[in-house]
This record gives sequence, structure tokens and C-alpha cells, in this order.
Amino acid sequence: MRTDRLTQPPLGPAQRPLRRTTPLPVGILLAVMLPLILMPLSAIYLFAGRGGLGEFVRMLSSPDAQFALRFSLLIALATAVTNGFLGTYAAYVLSKYEFRGREALIVIVNLPVAIPTVVVGTSLLLLWGPIGLLGQFLDPLGLQPMFAPAGVLLAHLFVTFPYMLGAVKPVLDELDVTYEEAAYTIGASRWQTFRMVILPALKGGLFSGALLTFAHSLGEFGATVIVSGNLRLRTQTAPLYIFAQFEAGNLETANAVASVLATLSFLLFFILIRFTQRKV
Amino acid sequence: MKTKRLNWTLLAQRLAFAFLGGGMLLYALWPWLPLVHGKPPRTLVLYGFSILGEVMNEGIFPAFQEVWAAQTGERVEFISAFASSGTVTNQMIMGVPAEVAILSLELDALRLVEHRVVDGPTWKALPHEGVVNRTPFIILVRPGNPKQISDFADLTRPGVGVVHPDPLTSGGAQWALLAEYGSVTLQGGSETAAYEQLLGIWRNVVAQAASARATRTQFETGFGDALITYEQELVRDRARGRLTAEPVYPHSTILSEHTVVVLERNIRPEQRELVDAFVNFLWSEEAQRIFVAYGFRSVDESLNSANPDFGYIAAPFVVADLGGWIAARDNIVNAVWKERVLPELRR
Repeated sequence: MRTDRLTQPPLGPAQRPLRRTTPLPVGILLAVMLPLILMPLSAIYLFAGRGGLGEFVRMLSSPDAQFALRFSLLIALATAVTNGFLGTYAAYVLSKYEFRGREALIVIVNLPVAIPTVVVGTSLLLLWGPIGLLGQFLDPLGLQPMFAPAGVLLAHLFVTFPYMLGAVKPVLDELDVTYEEAAYTIGASRWQTFRMVILPALKGGLFSGALLTFAHSLGEFGATVIVSGNLRLRTQTAPLYIFAQFEAGNLETANAVASVLATLSFLLFFILIRFTQRKV
Repeated sequence: MKTKRLNWTLLAQRLAFAFLGGGMLLYALWPWLPLVHGKPPRTLVLYGFSILGEVMNEGIFPAFQEVWAAQTGERVEFISAFASSGTVTNQMIMGVPAEVAILSLELDALRLVEHRVVDGPTWKALPHEGVVNRTPFIILVRPGNPKQISDFADLTRPGVGVVHPDPLTSGGAQWALLAEYGSVTLQGGSETAAYEQLLGIWRNVVAQAASARATRTQFETGFGDALITYEQELVRDRARGRLTAEPVYPHSTILSEHTVVVLERNIRPEQRELVDAFVNFLWSEEAQRIFVAYGFRSVDESLNSANPDFGYIAAPFVVADLGGWIAARDNIVNAVWKERVLPELRR
């Protein structure tokens, strides 16, 4: 997924005139999108609301569902904050310094978008799990990151790493180095330069990167299902809860939580577009 | 940047965003805020196979919580996970912190021994050799039984679509294999006839899912004409008025037996008493009655009359009649299904 579209200033309407059109192309687009995207989404809401509002609330307020939603939000927040720092730092190093292996490193840090998430989960388990490469030394010490919230966080950091980088690095690449140099010449320290010159320019990128990370973490399934052990009230995230309920045949419960998750995603997406002030 | 005037829209937007973000954070953190909460509850980690989810969450857990609270005054919370028996077993081999597990077949428990998760067949020392409840394997057909199915033999007819769980991951599927095979051999049929029946049924399999539960969902979404599944599932659905299919009771079928395993290595000393109390509770009359209410047949035959939805089986049998699980696995699952039926189907 390319994320720089959202962070780089696109051409304004003045430079890129839109053509007037007959209703046909728009009609075709809608005809394709309707069964592909719009109808499945509305189906979630229709099914979730089938039992009436009381039933909907009752399903949402079960301790398991509440825990799953809260846990997902917290993990997403922790992921966004941690990767906010890690991703910005990585973007800064990769954008500002020239060193051997830079190109290779850029490819590597972007790799998580290309790897299937289930593979990410399995590999984490084989590294940190009780029989894993590192885990077998941690296990006797009573440290066990897998099948615990820490494991879920690790998986989400891995899977969402490129989103922050993708949002911040293009801005840094565009940022003229002369601004920094000007700051140094008037005696600013490295930290001052970063805080007063670079950070303000990065604000938009940081914000959209963090939101993207948050949104992806909220919906992460493949890696989570492997590393979490799927424990209710301990490591079960909202997507895992939805799947477990679906498997158990409780379609209505699954749909109630699914509709909340979908609403949250819409909201995040809306904010993302609104606050980055971009023409979509 | 036209003027320095206060931009109300922007301010309102930011405020709305701050409220939204703050509200979400507060909601997410709420149970962990040190405001209203007393002592954190004791916890017990239980892994179970798929169809146990409901009876445990709604029946057994609340009942034991009351028993334990009455005895000790402590609150106990169950951390649980339910998936197909094979998945749960693999998770325990990979090291999930389960203290108690209920598996759909002893074979999975033996796999835990093989991987040294438990030291030897310790469940044999539990009541009923670790078997906590049973349920027969029966056939589920579409309303009105349009394909006229009355026994396993009818599933071999051409044109009948069978939905079957996957024996590689599902414990239920392995029970189903034994039912399909043993219902012939234990009724005086030859091994060839049993093989023919197994082959015929598997030729008709149109959909497979990882767990018995998932297979059921598949059948409900319209796949196939017949489903081989646990009786418990339909008893439960009928009780809730949700049964959209008809059960068919074969003349002879197997009663699956579900094994409780205690994972000693995951039990910290202070958990000992709680785990033991819970495991013993599973065989108490109260717990067994709950199992019956949720459609499982109790190990105590006298309790089973309490559920009028249990159907009549003329010639039921158990895995011991086939020589126990190891013999059944080697002689039926491996030697017949894996080595003869599957290659034949690929041809």
C-alpha cells in the first residue's frame, strides 16, 4: 500500500482541471463498487441491527466483547505511539544519512507490508515462543512474551512498521536541507533543530502515519491469531473475538462487534482525510 | 494565512477530535483505572475444543464461581480459549499457559505426552479416566429429509453431498471416521464392507472445515445434503428453537468421549488448590447436570433422562470397543482412511 499519497501535497484543482462527464463512467464505477464494497459493508450493519437495539447493546456489553474492544484500542494506541517514535527515527536516518547498505535497509524496513501476516506471527512464535530461538532462554527465567499482551504488541509493531515510515519519510525527503543548515549556523543544537525546524514540517505526516498505524493495528488478524493464543479476557483482540464468535455460530454477536469496528475505521479514515486537508 | 483571527471551525474540529480521542482512551483504560476496583480476581486458564464454548462460558464457569465464592469468598475469573481440538493441542505444544484442557479425543491428549507437555497419561487417574462427558455422532439432514437418508450407508449413494470436518485438525472428524467404520465392523460386517462404506462417504464429501463447529456453520450456509456431527449441537439448537435441519440417528454409532487434561507444568503452587477444586467440580452432579442441559450425555447414565431431546441409538459403541484410541488411530484412521481412502479418492 502506498501511503505517501496522503502526505504529499497533491496538485490543486487549479493545476489539474477535472473533466465534465456523462453519467455513464460514474454509473459503471458505482455498479462495480456496489457489490464489491458498499453492499458488504451495509450487510454488517443490517445483520447487527436485526435483533433490535436492546439485543445489539446486550451483545456488545458482554465482558468478553468489552474486553476485546478495549484491548484492541490500547494495543492500537501503544503500537501507534511506539511506531511513531521508531518510524520517525528510521525515516530520519534513512532520509538524511548516506551509508553503505542504505538502499537494502530501505527495502528491509518496508518488507512487513509484503509478508503475509500469518507468516509474521509464525516467525515471531519461532523466535520468542517457549520453544523458539530466543524464547527457550527466556522461558526458564519466567519471561514469556508470546501468548501475552506483549506478544500481540510485538506482532503489531512488526506488521505496521512501514506505515509510519511511509508517511514521514517522503516529507523528510522533500524538506530542503538548507533549513537545517540555517538553523545550525545561528547556533541551534541538533535537538533544537529537530524540534523547531523539522518537527513542525513533519506534523501532518506524523499525524496521518499514526492514524494509519492505529487503524491497521485495530484490524490486525493474521499475526495476532498466532501469537496471542486467543485467550479471552487476556489477549483476545476485537477481530479475534469476531472470528471466534463467527466460528461458534453466533453471527449476531460477531456482527455487533464488527459493526463497531467498522464504524471506528470509518471515523479514523474520515479524520485522516479531514485533518490532512487533502483533496481526495 | 489571511488573518490572525481565531478560526472557530478549526477550533471546533480540534476540540471534537480531542474529545473523541480522549473518550476512546478513557473507555479503553476504564477497567484498569484504580478507582472502583477491589482485589483482582483469581484466574484459571482453560483451553477447550470447539463445541464446549457455550456450556463452559454460560453454565460451568458461573456455577463454579458460585461454589468457589461460597467456599473461600474469592472471586475467580476464567481465561479461556476454544478452537478445534487439534488447534488447541498445537497451541499447548507451542506453550500457551493453559492449566486445564478439555480435548475432544484422547489422541490429542496423547500428543501432549509425546511432546512432554504432560508427563504420561495422567488423566487416567481422574474420575472416569478423564472422560468428562460424551455425545454420539449422528447425521444431520435438510428439513423433510429430501434425500431419504436413514443411516451411514445412505451417505455413500451418488448425488448425496456430505459436509465433513477435517480429520487433520478436528477431533470430531476422527470420531466421525470411527463411527463410519465401526458401525459396520461392530455389527458383524467385514472390514472390506467397512472400507467400502468409508470410501463411499468420502467420495461424497463436498466441503471440509477445520473444526466441527465451523463445519456446522458451513452446512448452515447451504453446503451439502448431510452433515456428520455431534448430537450435542442439534440438541442445543432445538432447545433454542433454532434447529433448521433434521437429525437422523444411525442404527449404530460411536459415543465420543471428551478428555480432561491437567497441565501440571503450567500450574504455580498457589494455583494448585483452585485447579483441583475445579477439576473435581467437573464430575460433580451439579456440573454433570449442566452438561446434560447443554446437550452432552453425562458419564452418569442416570442423569441423561433429564434431557428429553436425546435420541435413541440401537447399538451405541465407544472407542474401547475398537481397541482404544491408539489401535483405532493405527488401524482405522491411518491404515484405512489415510492410506487407502485418500489415495483412492485422488485417483
